[in-house]
Parts: sequence; structure tokens; C-alpha cells
Amino acid sequence: MPWNNQSGGSGGNGDGSRGPWSRGPSGGAGGGPPDLEDLLRRVQARLRQLMPNGRVTQGTLAGVGLVLVGLWLLSGVYFVTGREQGIVQLFGRVVAHSGQGINYHLPWPIETATVVEVTRENSINVGYQQPTDSSDSQHPLDVPSESLMLTGDENIVDVNFTVFWVVNDASAFLFNVENPDNSPDKTIKAVAESAMREIVGQSQFEAIITQDRALVQQRVRDLMQKTLDLYGSGITITRIQLGNAAAPEDVNDAFRDVQAAIANQEQMRNEAEGYANKIIPEARGRAAQIVQQAEAYRQQAIAEASGEAKQFLSVYQEYKKAPEVTRRRMYLETMTQVLAPMNKIILDDSTGHNVVPYLPLPDLQKHPEAATAQPQSGTSAPGAQVTVGPQP
Amino acid sequence: MNRVMLFLVAVAGVAVVVVASMSSYTINPTEQAIVLQFGAPLAVETEPGLHVMIPWVQTVEYIDKRLLNVEAPPEEVIAQDKKRLVVDSFARWRIVDPIRFYQRAHDKETAIQRLTTILGSSVRGVLGDHVFSAVLSDKRDRLMRDIRDTMNQDTKEFGIYVVDVRIRHADLPQQNTDAIFKRMRQERKREANEFRAEGSEISQRIRARADREVTVLTAEANRESDILHGEGDAEKTRILGDAYGQDPDFFAFYRSMQAYEVALPGNNTSVVLSPNSEFFRYFLQSGGAVPRAPAHARKH
Repeated sequence: MPWNNQSGGSGGNGDGSRGPWSRGPSGGAGGGPPDLEDLLRRVQARLRQLMPNGRVTQGTLAGVGLVLVGLWLLSGVYFVTGREQGIVQLFGRVVAHSGQGINYHLPWPIETATVVEVTRENSINVGYQQPTDSSDSQHPLDVPSESLMLTGDENIVDVNFTVFWVVNDASAFLFNVENPDNSPDKTIKAVAESAMREIVGQSQFEAIITQDRALVQQRVRDLMQKTLDLYGSGITITRIQLGNAAAPEDVNDAFRDVQAAIANQEQMRNEAEGYANKIIPEARGRAAQIVQQAEAYRQQAIAEASGEAKQFLSVYQEYKKAPEVTRRRMYLETMTQVLAPMNKIILDDSTGHNVVPYLPLPDLQKHPEAATAQPQSGTSAPGAQVTVGPQP
Repeated sequence: MNRVMLFLVAVAGVAVVVVASMSSYTINPTEQAIVLQFGAPLAVETEPGLHVMIPWVQTVEYIDKRLLNVEAPPEEVIAQDKKRLVVDSFARWRIVDPIRFYQRAHDKETAIQRLTTILGSSVRGVLGDHVFSAVLSDKRDRLMRDIRDTMNQDTKEFGIYVVDVRIRHADLPQQNTDAIFKRMRQERKREANEFRAEGSEISQRIRARADREVTVLTAEANRESDILHGEGDAEKTRILGDAYGQDPDFFAFYRSMQAYEVALPGNNTSVVLSPNSEFFRYFLQSGGAVPRAPAHARKH
């Protein structure tokens, strides 16, 4: 029976039919019918080609039919990994959530199964984009239209953040919400932007960029969760990660200048303290020196006075024994010593008046009355007129 | 015979499948169905699964059951206080009365067009009744609810319920943004100047305090020094007074002798002496006639 062998050839059609089989688990509702009809037509056409006489035996038909039925039944096999959840729908109605491993659903069009990843944490960037491979920048690219927003005190802040989310209810996730462009990311992003702007709009600029970052994250998360729960989205927001929350690029230089000013202030303070720390110890040292010098003077004065007093008293003790003689002796000794090296001019009182103007001593001419007055005033020490010399 | 039977069975089987498929319809969880009898709405079926209908007499129209989305493009809105802001919002809605929706709105695309218009006008209306700062406050939530309620008044006739309205962006127009940037920059500049001025204030204060301390330290040291000098001089005066006080006359003489020795260095000094002076008492006559008593200095 040559056609038996040929029927083996019809198995080749199985290759073409594998598409829908393997597509079974993914549950494409629209994918089934055209493929199956197309497949039947192609099988018939192929059989007619193989049988030029156009005759098809019962056995052949039954065999082909059985194979097709078998493959159709097998199309219900699908796999669910540990990170996924399968949803089985019987004529559209959700009838089962399948666990991990190998699973079976009745073949299309009776049942379909959809597999959703449920444990993976997804992330969405808002306000910035990860640089693509083609761009040479390593830094995230800021998206000003998303990242610039008004704060409660009518300033503008630049906020970048990342939303992390997981599917917590696969069937709710699949069926409850229409997502723009069939992308749940877009829904979440819209909610995230709205929530962030609402929270930032209620906060003060300084607080957002400094101490309230954690609070903002928490409030945005809560608000997003509330909104998504209202939508019945089957999504849990696990966390919000606030990346950059700072002054916008346009005013950043001004903000940096404030930081610089703070540093300047610190520097000026340090310099001033350095100055103080230098001059005060120096002054203390100088003060100590002054006091010590004064102390030295005091002790010196006392010591010298004591010495002088002792000297005088010693002389005086001796003097008392013979006052007249001693006094004359001391006078003559002193005069000898004082007058010996001097230029001496001895004038009689009677001629003094006329001679003084001719003295070769210019200095004396300045004090002619002194020279003339001298002889009358015997009180002056031993009759000598002195031109120079300090007061004793 | 056998083949005829088989053929009949096959025909019957095909007929059953055809009739079954014509008299039944399935509903997915994402949709609901209106059963139309000769085109007129008869019933609404919302339960997902397999349902029965009468072939040819009845047809089924599917209506989305999910929470649907509508977005209003960014639009300039004038708040009550004449401030302008650019608002970009979206609404989430669902079809709650499928028959009314089918009759009035017909399909989703038409409905979304209408909703976009309604959303835009509701946003303008509600925000126009509030001052700009209300958007940047706790009131924002209430504003969004007001927009939603305003929309629902208009969407009720389409069998649509708006679940939620969110203001996505509410920004200022570009020129106002620039003004804010300018103001922020000025504020920062002021802040920076303040810090710098404070810095020099702190610096001057520290320096002045240090200078003061130096002055005080020096003055105190000088005071102590003067006291010590005074003490020294006083002690000196007392000691010498005690000593010289024993014989003031001899002291005057003795001290004068010392002073002459020190005060009159020899070389460049000229002295005019009278032969009548004390020193020359015996110079011309051995009798020692001198007019006056020995001249010892009274001074010093």
C-alpha cells in the first residue's frame, strides 16, 4: 500500500501544525481557528495530490482523523514555571489557577490557559531613561517633561524615581483594566506621575530635597497603591525609589553657590579662629614677659637700694668717728679727681667782669651772667662754673 | 451501506457542531454582552462563560467590561486667580449600562472622543473655580473628585461611570516657569550672600574678641608691671630713706661728692675757678682765709 508510506509523508504536515500546538499554552484566543481550518484544507489537498485517482480510502481518512484528534488533544499541554501562574478559562470563564509544573487544559476552543509572571519585580523609570547602548552617556538621561514639577511653595524641583511592582492577582491583572497600548507599564506610569506630583505639590521644596525623601517615597507608594486598588488592577507597588530630587538644571549653579557660600563661611570662621588662636597666646606670652621684667626691676631696685644704703651706712659709721677731717678729706679727694683732667681758668673776682667776654669759650658766652654771678653765690659747689654735665 | 451511514453520521456531527456554535456564545472576563433580538437590545449578560441564544433571531454585541482609559492632552487652564497652568489629565471609566452605552455611544472610539471633550471641559470648569494654589495643596485630591463628579453628570446618559480622574501634570506655562527659575535663583543668591555676610560677621566678631583679649592681657600685664615698679621704687625709697635719714647733712655732702665724680667727666670740660673758692683756700695764703664756710652743695 504505497499510500501508507505516503501517509508517513503526511506526518510532515505535522510540522506545519505544530504552531498552534505549541501556541496552546500561551492561549491565543484568535490564533486557533484559521490555523486548524487551513491545516485541514492543506491536508486534503496534499492527499489528493498524492492520489492521482482522487480516491481516499476509509482507513486513510480514519488514520488522518485520529492523528489530528490526537494532536488537538495534545495541544492542551502547557508548562508553568515557579515564577508564573496559569489561568485556565473554560469558554472564557476563569475556572482554575494552575500551579507550577506540567499542566493540561482542554484544547481550544473549549479551554484556554494564560501564563503570567507573578514573582518578578518589574520596574518603571519616571523622570529619566536608562541610557541606550548607542548613546555614549553613562548617566541616566533626564526627561524634563516628566521630572520637573511644582512644589507646594511654588518652586520647581527635579525628581527622578523608579517604581517597583509585582502582580499580586493574575486574573485581576489580566482582565480588570484596559492598559494603553496593552502595556500595564503605561497605566502604572500615569498613576505614578500623578501621585508624585500630588505629593510633591503638598510638600515644601527644601523638605523634598533633604529630610523628607523617605516620607515622599512612602506617601507616593501608598497613594499609588490606593489608586491601583481602586482600579482593581491586581498590582502591588513594592516600593518607590527616589533617585534624584534636586534643584532643576537651570538653577543648579545658584544652589551650588549656596553650598560654596556655606563653605566660605566656614573658611572665614576657621581663619578668624586661627588668627585668635595665634595672637592670644602671643599676647599671654608678652604679658608674662612684661610682668617678669617688672618683677625683675622691683627686685633690682630693692637690691641696689640695699647695697647703696649699706655702703652709705658703712661710710657713715666711720665718718662719725672724725667728721671734720673725713669731710675735708673726701672733699679734697673728690675735687682732685674731678678737677684734674679739666681745663681750668682761675680768675680773680675783681677782674671777672671784664674778662669774661674775651674768654675763648663760646659756650660760656651764652651764660655770662652765670660766670659773673658765681663768685657772689658761695652756695654753689666749689666755686666752679661748669659748661656741660648731667644733673647728678 | 456502511459508507452511507458513515457519511450521515459525519453530516449529522457537522450539523450539530454548526447549530451548537450558532446557538451559543462565549463571554470573556474582559467583556460583557448585549443580546439583541432582531437588532433590539433584549438582555445583558455579564457572566463570563458559555451562553445560549436563538440562532438567526438573536445576535450578540460585546461591550468592554474592563476599567477603561481616556486621556486629555495637555491644555492651558486659567485658575480663578487668573494664573495659568498646563494640565494633562486622564480618567478611568467603565461601562455600567451596556444597553444605554450601545444605544447612545455605540462604540468605544466614539465614547472616548466624547469623554475626552468632557474631561477637558470638566478640568477647565473645576480648576477655573479654584485658585492656583489649591492645585498645590491637600485640595488636589478633592479637585480631582470634583472633576470626576462633574464628568459623571455628563456621562450618565452614555451608561458610563467615571471611576477616577487624575491630574497627571499640572505645570506652569514656559514663561511662568522661567519666572520661577529666576525667583529661585534670586532666593539662592540672597541665601548665599547671607551666608557670606554672616561669615564675615563671625570672622570679625572672633577677631575683635581676640584683639580685645590681647589688649586686656597687655593692659593687665602693664598694670601689674606698674605696681611692681612702684613697689620696687617704694622699697628703694624706704631703704635709702632709712639709711640717709640718719644724717641728712652728711648724706647731702657724700652724695654730692659722688655726683661730681660721675657728672663731670674730665676732658672736654672747662671750668672757671675763683681763687677765693674753698678749693683754693690755701692756694695763695697759708692762713686759709676764706670768705665763707666750706661750700658743700645744698642740692642733692
